[in-house]
Amino acid sequence: MTISAQTFASVLVFALVVHVVLLTCAYLIYVERKMAAYIQDRIGPNRVGFDFGLPILGFLKGCLGLGQSLADGLKFLLKEDYAPDRADKRLFTLAPVAIIIPALIGFAIIPWGGTATIPSFSILGLVHVTGGEVVLAGLNANIGIVYLLSVASLGVYGVTIAGYASNNKYSFIGGMRATAQMVSYEIPLGLSLLAILLVYGTLMPEEIIAHQRQHGWMVFAQPIAAVLFFIAILAEANRAPFDVAEAEQELVGGYHTEYSSMRFALFFLAEYAHMITSSAMFALLFLGGWEPLPFVSVFGGGAVHLGGGVAEVLLAVAVVGLKLAVLFGKAVTLVAFMMLIRWTIPRLRYDQIMMGAWQSVIPLALTVVVVTAAMVQWGRTDTLSLILANGAVFALMMVVMPLMPKYDPNRKIPLYGSRFNPMPGERVVTGPTVALAREDHPVRGSL
Amino acid sequence: MAIPDSDIIVLSSKPLNRSENIYLPEIFKGFGTTLRHMFTSWGQGKTSRSMQYPEERREHFKPEDGGQEPSNFRGFHRLNKDEQGRVKCVACMMCPTICPANCIHIEAAESPWPDREKYPAKFEIDELRCIFCGMCEEACPVDAIELTTEYDIVGKSRQEMVFDKNKLLQMYDLTIGKKPM
Repeated sequence: MTISAQTFASVLVFALVVHVVLLTCAYLIYVERKMAAYIQDRIGPNRVGFDFGLPILGFLKGCLGLGQSLADGLKFLLKEDYAPDRADKRLFTLAPVAIIIPALIGFAIIPWGGTATIPSFSILGLVHVTGGEVVLAGLNANIGIVYLLSVASLGVYGVTIAGYASNNKYSFIGGMRATAQMVSYEIPLGLSLLAILLVYGTLMPEEIIAHQRQHGWMVFAQPIAAVLFFIAILAEANRAPFDVAEAEQELVGGYHTEYSSMRFALFFLAEYAHMITSSAMFALLFLGGWEPLPFVSVFGGGAVHLGGGVAEVLLAVAVVGLKLAVLFGKAVTLVAFMMLIRWTIPRLRYDQIMMGAWQSVIPLALTVVVVTAAMVQWGRTDTLSLILANGAVFALMMVVMPLMPKYDPNRKIPLYGSRFNPMPGERVVTGPTVALAREDHPVRGSL
Repeated sequence: MAIPDSDIIVLSSKPLNRSENIYLPEIFKGFGTTLRHMFTSWGQGKTSRSMQYPEERREHFKPEDGGQEPSNFRGFHRLNKDEQGRVKCVACMMCPTICPANCIHIEAAESPWPDREKYPAKFEIDELRCIFCGMCEEACPVDAIELTTEYDIVGKSRQEMVFDKNKLLQMYDLTIGKKPM
């Protein structure tokens, strides 16, 4: 059997990255709890070590609570897998699958290790790998970024199906909110992406990194698009302050109220995998991918040669590993920033989220796209010109903002026809409707 | 029942200025506050308010640092003994009468001692029903029933948490050193 070098590299990278990401997800939950604790002047998980109650492993007791993730996973596995009686069983089972698959295939196109050349070799004489240049990613596709965008937006199906199938009104409201919110924030996500893709002129992740190596990171050239993109990925990942889909104070647990055991764990895992994917995407598009420094090229542009002597191969593997570490480090830093946002900013009200999307983020993103298109047409796509263009957009925003119509944030929005705001002339019956109960507890006011 | 507009008090905050209106500067100020708390309480730093419970207990701290104030702490009950080691209670039924949770059950009998008429043959307190209000202690005319500083006694069954006379007298022996009568 003969396979191409890219197939070999894809399988290898995917097998590695899936495990790395899943382990990172488990520990991100620990990190988030610890971070929340410190922010709230608490200590956080610090008891579960790796001693498993055995005296011989007593020295592993405590360990800063690092065994917590393991204990959590074990607990989820052993819990009763419960489904409500009236739930749509097939959809109920499908929903966690529909949310975990996009989360796990999303990062396929992210070039964790850059490019490399692999010499021809065979594995045990059975599988012959033909050598050549490969991208060390799960998938080497021309449409890279579009794939990422489409897969990331598939996650909403899981949320909606979960909310619908649970046969619970809180879950349903959570699912509906998530749908409306994701549909709304898909637009600024696409538009801010368009603004930078116009500058890049390509969808290939490797070429995007190459462009940033030459011209500096895109976050300096397009700061407004970067901020809008970050806001949009927060909303897409259903993270605070946009987590109205699982607003505990209003909706019990949101769309996953009825889920327990490993199915619930899949929702949890998918949220964190989604965060890692989004952050890796941000790092790739705005923060120069696997290049550690903004305007300096550390690793150079060429492909790493994974061949020759043992020392050379080890050196090449070290370089690839460093690239992976840099990109992953950037992604994890961004995830930590998302956590900081979660524990700092209170949740937005639902109408504020919608108004934010349609009245401020989308118009601003459109302006940035138009200005960037003009700059591209004019042929001035270097960093300095783009910074000036962004400054012009910002100035325009500051001029236009006071002229916009003002809303009172606490204005009363009457829901006409409800029992608290009856239509003119409508008789509203409040209180118990059973006649006997009404005699016992006479209702004050107009009956 | 519609709420008439005249009953509604409208409170409005002062309008946001230019930099507050784009939110981001204010949000970054908020990050500053959050990060300051995070780094000052890092690894039980100076703002950390947690107590490592089984190792550290409230008794180890001063009341102003969140510790226990033994003189008025309301923990589990005890039945006091007099100088001759007899139960002080005279079965006057004041405490079961005042008890708002109805958790005290006393069966009185004729006293074997000449200095009082009655003594409790049975004295049971359901500690799971008790709300630790301290009313029994207030009502007692002979200072027989008292609340101790113990707060972490557990049992494996509900029956185990119904303290009988023996156990309440044992509680006296256990806690008389910590909290004198």
